[in-house]
Amino acid sequence: MPDPRLLLEDKLGKKTLLLGNEAIARGTLEAGISVVTTYPGTPASEIGDTLSEIAKDAGLYMEYSTNEIVAVEVAAGAANCGVRALTAMKHVGLNVAADAVMTLAYIGVRGGYVIVTADDPGCYSSQNEQDNRFYALLSNLPCLEPSNPQEAKDMTVSAVEVSEKLELPVLLRTTTRVSHTRGPVVYGKLAKPNLKGEFVKDVKRMVMVPAHARIMHARLLEKLEAAKEISEKSPYNVEVRRGNGEYGIISSSAAYNYAEEARELLGLDASVLKLGMTYPLPEKMIGKFLKKHKKVIIIEELEPYLEMQIKAVAKDYAPSVEIYGKISLTYFPRKGELSTRAVTTGMAKITGRKPPINFDKLDAAYSEISKDLPSRPPILCAGCPHMASFYVIGKATGKRAIYPTDIGCYALGAAPPLSIGDILICMGASIGAAQGISKVADKDVVAVIGDSTFFHAAIPGLVNAVYNNHKVVLVVLDNLTTAMTGHQPHPGTGKTGMQTQGKRILIEKVAEGCGVKYVKVVSPFNVKEAENTLKEALKHEESSVIIFRAPCALMTMRERRRKGEEVAPYRITEKCTNCMACIKLLGCPALTIENEKVSINEVLCVACGLCASVCPYNAIEKVKQK
Amino acid sequence: MAGVGGQGIILAAQVLGTAAVNDGFNVRVSEIHGMAQRGGAVVSDVRIGENVLAPTVLDGNADVLLGFEPIETLRNLKFASGKTIVIMNAERIMPTELTAKRAKYPSLEETIQKINAFTKNVIVIEASKLAKEVGNILTQNVVLLGALAAVGKIPIKTETLIDALRELIPPKQLEVNIKAFKIGYEKAEKLIKS
Repeated sequence: MPDPRLLLEDKLGKKTLLLGNEAIARGTLEAGISVVTTYPGTPASEIGDTLSEIAKDAGLYMEYSTNEIVAVEVAAGAANCGVRALTAMKHVGLNVAADAVMTLAYIGVRGGYVIVTADDPGCYSSQNEQDNRFYALLSNLPCLEPSNPQEAKDMTVSAVEVSEKLELPVLLRTTTRVSHTRGPVVYGKLAKPNLKGEFVKDVKRMVMVPAHARIMHARLLEKLEAAKEISEKSPYNVEVRRGNGEYGIISSSAAYNYAEEARELLGLDASVLKLGMTYPLPEKMIGKFLKKHKKVIIIEELEPYLEMQIKAVAKDYAPSVEIYGKISLTYFPRKGELSTRAVTTGMAKITGRKPPINFDKLDAAYSEISKDLPSRPPILCAGCPHMASFYVIGKATGKRAIYPTDIGCYALGAAPPLSIGDILICMGASIGAAQGISKVADKDVVAVIGDSTFFHAAIPGLVNAVYNNHKVVLVVLDNLTTAMTGHQPHPGTGKTGMQTQGKRILIEKVAEGCGVKYVKVVSPFNVKEAENTLKEALKHEESSVIIFRAPCALMTMRERRRKGEEVAPYRITEKCTNCMACIKLLGCPALTIENEKVSINEVLCVACGLCASVCPYNAIEKVKQK
Repeated sequence: MAGVGGQGIILAAQVLGTAAVNDGFNVRVSEIHGMAQRGGAVVSDVRIGENVLAPTVLDGNADVLLGFEPIETLRNLKFASGKTIVIMNAERIMPTELTAKRAKYPSLEETIQKINAFTKNVIVIEASKLAKEVGNILTQNVVLLGALAAVGKIPIKTETLIDALRELIPPKQLEVNIKAFKIGYEKAEKLIKS
């Protein structure tokens, strides 16, 4: 997508290449969704980012909410005024939003409301690989699962229709390989957004006190029955291929793609039932399919979500059918993402066929190469202020403290040589875990958290630290953006999803407001001052907050490039003794060894000067500009 | 396409995918975003053809392995077979693991030897150097795209690829990118002939 505004073209039938997330953004426009809320998270981020860029032109309202539960609450408010809404988040975001979602299922909605959850099998950019289809089962909310960008768009529109028919929020569950796959998408008709709603009071429906909740729970179960009828007739639940009756395959989402290609590779004449609406399942349709086959193979990524339910259906409809999946007898992996290879291998085992590729031979040849390949994990960028912060934290504490860390680029600081990061759970957990550790372990505890993460989930934890008199230091790594997910704004920047300048909320003021007495703001590139500030904080008997503030290096570079500024890199002078302190202390990607000598890669160097501050021989200096 | 985060792999894949759609093909392009990108190993799969469904390439099944960096080319050889053409950028990006261990980066000869265990079809392009020559190191991705067009393994017209550049690259950067594409094309064409 060269320019997101192209999504606004009212060209019915136009075919264009879209990322799954861009396709959902297009679907949002075709569905007449008028309120969009999100908290950025890979692999969901581009849904919000794309819509943020075109919201004004499209006539819809878009916001980056402080966190996912707020995002759901804002959208639920609008949807209960009859306005169509969508909230996008990554899979773990739904854990944060779950409290609202579970009860919103009772209340329901008046305008169509879609909750996009983008799961991350394989943990490409996540702390776990939970399977959020179980949220559909838990909440009784209908769930649609696209398998490619075209379906991602179409199902966004369908989700609104289903939502309005049932007066229920609908989950649209993607995975990394749907959200971050580009494919051809054919445009449908654009719908006019409508931002004007009305709140019609209805206490029994809207106010979930116990007496009302009991009634609305029953109402939800009635809606579930209606949802089953929709699922039976859904165009997304369809037998896409009819085989000779021996084997049947049931699959959904990205897994369907691998299943179909694996079937083709093995030359298996099996029927294929593709499920796009996976909650509630079309039980009758599945029952009929089971009856028609001797053996049924279920192919799904992560948990045996379909398999559990299909085996229950089989008990009633086709007790003698053999079902192959991943419960008890494991033919397919329950962890990591699926691949055509994994599905081919499992399917070959079940059917006694031979894969057309000799994978063992390939593996043997590849292991010869891979065995001494150096790893290349993600790393902090050259000039990243977090690198400076971690260096300072390590120096001020002699690396003897415990360092709970949090979700963001700075989680990469746990890797050597910086090695700051001892426990990482979820958004906001660093400040909470720090308090438990400091209570029982006789060590200094320095928790780190990012700026966006601070607003998202750290404030209750910080209040707890002050209220319960815990002694921890919270270091906020404020790079003035939500860097990891693609540089979205947050309350600390004051920019909004509508691309306007709103009110900026300062982290230092929030910390003071929470009752923290020692609150300091310092640039981590002022190494000495930053170190002293942290040392001072450690002397306090109460919890303290230090904000290491310096903009994300990628942002700085982009800004410089835009302005056409030349950056004069640093260089190693003849004073260098090759002691390697810079390399051992920082692990900056711009510091390399060429011909046994330390050298600075001038393309990568962004002239942050951190290496010059740590060099014991003053042997690193800025290249004089011509 | 395999390389290191920041080398422009996502854009290159997008150009190829866009051109494929514009030439009337079905296509799947998979990408890696977010944290995994930060200076880490990055792979993008592009699958073009009537029946493509899966977004990722099956092991041993790549027609072309476009390596943006030698070590990353090696890392992705499991996608290669004797039929695969490997187009590799010679520019090395030192993995921090090697720097920390003060270990040497494998030589180009060694790298090619390892690739040859999978396929004899290897084209080495000094894409980063050529990109610098045309005026912007960041166009190394487009130099490689040019080379890809030259080897004739993709069903897309070269003109369509250049049009896709026009569609996706900001006007200010377009000229240097087209130059980069052409120089990559010419270089690869010469290498194939020799």
